[in-house]
Amino acid sequence: MDKIIKIWLKYYPVYLSGLWGTLWISAVTVLLGAMLGMVVALIRMSHTKVLKGITDLFVEILRGTPILLQLYFFWIALPKIVPFELSDTQCIVAALAVNASAFISEIIRAGIGAVDKGQWEAARSIGLSETHVMTRVILPQAVKNILPALCNEFIATVKGTSLASVFFVGELMTSYKTVQSATFLALQSLVIAGMIYFALNYVLSRLLRVIERRLMVSD
Amino acid sequence: MTEPILQTRNLKKNFGKLEVLKGISVDIRKGEVVSIIGPSGGGKSTFLRCLNLLEIPDEGQIFYQGQDITDKKLKITKYRQGIGMVFQHFNVFPNMTVLENVTLAPTLEKKVPAEQAKEEAMALLTRVGLADKADEYPRKLSGGQKQRLAIVRALAMKPEVMLFDEPTSALDPEMVKEVLNVIRELTRSGMTILIVTHEMGFAREVSDRVLFICDGVIKEEGTPEQIFTCPHEPETIKFLSMVL
Ligand SMILES: Nc1ncnc2c1ncn2[C@@H]1O[C@H](COP(=O)(O)OP(=O)(O)OP(=O)(O)O)[C@@H](O)[C@H]1O
Ligand SMILES: [Mg+2]
Repeated sequence: MDKIIKIWLKYYPVYLSGLWGTLWISAVTVLLGAMLGMVVALIRMSHTKVLKGITDLFVEILRGTPILLQLYFFWIALPKIVPFELSDTQCIVAALAVNASAFISEIIRAGIGAVDKGQWEAARSIGLSETHVMTRVILPQAVKNILPALCNEFIATVKGTSLASVFFVGELMTSYKTVQSATFLALQSLVIAGMIYFALNYVLSRLLRVIERRLMVSD
Repeated sequence: MTEPILQTRNLKKNFGKLEVLKGISVDIRKGEVVSIIGPSGGGKSTFLRCLNLLEIPDEGQIFYQGQDITDKKLKITKYRQGIGMVFQHFNVFPNMTVLENVTLAPTLEKKVPAEQAKEEAMALLTRVGLADKADEYPRKLSGGQKQRLAIVRALAMKPEVMLFDEPTSALDPEMVKEVLNVIRELTRSGMTILIVTHEMGFAREVSDRVLFICDGVIKEEGTPEQIFTCPHEPETIKFLSMVL
């Protein structure tokens, strides 16, 4: 126990920078994932058969292969495709975001599906364009269903980013590896990382509950 | 006799194997008030929903002011702006205030300036006794108030035709009257109105014509006098004996 405290006192800046890395990578991942997920969800709900087939396959592949494999794939393939320089971190964030978009598109689709059919009909009956039906009537109501699930996805992403430590992108698990190789105290340095993850997710899930309750009240 | 504003010719609609509309042909004249009655599942709602293309008919044509609106090239959105619809379950937008419910479509789709849209909306809300609720959200409204709001929302687009699908069926009895009063006033304003209703007394009072729809066809039609006092078809007689 006192070893844990000693490590913490000496190396806490490393952990904190790792915590910061985990947080911003998760935030960017969910943000980009939500934008891409929205596009995917809208295409999957549209009536254009070809596009729908492509996005269905996109989602199936992302859900049907290990995320670690996807990270490697982006890390290897992405720099070869894009015409500009990409850091490892950028490749990994892109991979995480694309992976998250598959799950988020499902969340968005379910959220939109849960809006009463009568709302679509009423919005169409007053002559709104399909775009306005979606943006003014359906999405604002779907957000209520989507937001809590999106917070859950954020929590899952926080844990998922640990895989990125394979590429030393500077999140919390990378901090653990750094501290571990400096101190040779594998267990103790790992416990510290674990406690930080746990505390973080504990706070986040509490926050989620507050948000959920807020949304319920405004119903 | 004025010219027809809405006509259907041999209108058919199936849901999978179920034939719901089996060929409906009718002429609705400008300013006419037409009630549609008939047994549950007979296709009344489906017919009404076909008229503003919430359902796409499988066969047959719909003409609006002489133009075939089942033509794929037609802009559905534009057409729907001329046809207001009121639903059994109100379907007011819960994410907007009462006033925003009303001004939404005029400002977005007709580019009516915000100030003018608001003025017109307030005038309409005043007419149905909802002016003091303008800034409330619909969750604070009673069923009757929600339905009056839904009517105003449709009227704000200044439609030529109004479709009502059982506008009072989901209401508590004490609220039916306030909604029927609004519709009654509308029938006197010269607007073209189609109303599916189980309120036989009301249908008899306000209609120029009554259609009895059963098994996906118009089994019988006529003036309220004819339909309610001396119906000919056995189905009509049976239906009326059950509801009256
Ligand atoms: N979207 C749909 N999918 C499948 N079947 C449907 C659909 N809409 C309606 N139906 C069926 O079509 C038939 C006619 O329905 P419709 O709602 O037009 O009847 P209605 O005359 O309005 O009856 P009610 O008086 O109960 O409102 C019913 O058997 C109904 O189950
Ligand atoms: Mg019906």
